[in-house]
Amino acid sequence: MTGKGVITPPKDRADLVERLKEVQRRYGHVPEEAIAELAESLAIPIHEVYGVASFYSFLSTKPLGRNVIRVCRSLPCYLKSAEMIMEAVEKELDIGPGETTPDGRFTFELANCIGLCDHAPAMLINRDPHVDLTPEKIKQILGAYK
Amino acid sequence: MEKKINLTINDKEVSGRPGMTILEVAGENGIDIPTLCHIPDLPPIGACRLCVVEVEGSRTLVGSCHTPVAEGMVVQTHSPKVIATRKVLVELMLASHPDACLVCDKANICELRRIAADLEIGLPRFRTRKHYYPVEDENSGMLRDMSKCVQCRRCVVACKSPGGEPLFGMAYRGFDSKVVHGHDQPLGSESGENCDACIEICPSGALQKVRKTGEERADRALIIKG
Repeated sequence: MTGKGVITPPKDRADLVERLKEVQRRYGHVPEEAIAELAESLAIPIHEVYGVASFYSFLSTKPLGRNVIRVCRSLPCYLKSAEMIMEAVEKELDIGPGETTPDGRFTFELANCIGLCDHAPAMLINRDPHVDLTPEKIKQILGAYK
Repeated sequence: MEKKINLTINDKEVSGRPGMTILEVAGENGIDIPTLCHIPDLPPIGACRLCVVEVEGSRTLVGSCHTPVAEGMVVQTHSPKVIATRKVLVELMLASHPDACLVCDKANICELRRIAADLEIGLPRFRTRKHYYPVEDENSGMLRDMSKCVQCRRCVVACKSPGGEPLFGMAYRGFDSKVVHGHDQPLGSESGENCDACIEICPSGALQKVRKTGEERADRALIIKG
């Protein structure tokens, strides 16, 4: 998938997150080959790069669907019944967190705080915020994404 | 003559040399502070927190494995506050630990189990979900069962491949944090040279020897005080 030297080599270890974000933008996820290439150019073990890539919920080491749903699972949303939102999404798409629909239309993920606590419970679909959610709103919101 | 640092541990006047940690000075004076992540001669990890002690004037308990001694320090290693904290820490580790001691190969030499017995921890107070990961037995020298890992990070610091590369690192986040190799792959055959030392430093059953049928179990049976 990624030929050698396709990724901008990181300047130093601190630059690693930026390069991983670039890879994610370009390929939709962070493939194993990219992790190996970044590790090699920084001369660090693969597990260190993998550790960074897997730490952030907005970076994915697996291929994602066309639309990515990220339901917030942090405390304020939890207190405003985010679990009911997760259940509604699960029921609507028939997939659990971390899974992609068989047609590749949606990936359903849980994210840590997305900064929309004042309108909890909240979720992101791609880059669009959806706030003050109720289980009833989910069907209509998802319907707008093809 | 080298400079001496005088301090008080458990109301006893003791002295250490510059650069020594509280844990080291306590050890030299026959005071046993429990640890799960400390490895002598390697840089301190400070992950398990079991070595916490009370230092007069300090707002919080401090980790004795990474706190250097200072002149005039007054330390309590087994005060009620310290013991209560250690108990909760071990209880929390056990809360997500599989109830598999009966069939665990390392049960007899398990440091986690020994410390739990020493601290007289009884039936679990906390209930949480457990980690369930498949056992990794692809490697001929080491069996990994990450369900039993307490994330002390000893293997992260100590385990090296025959070429000197670190074998393990931390990945994921929060409850999902896990010690991984490569892209979270099982150890292949490439690194199965001399794993016995690493298996020995693992304080739980997460790293085990690959045992052949009929082979003897390690060490004597663990006798729990009662």
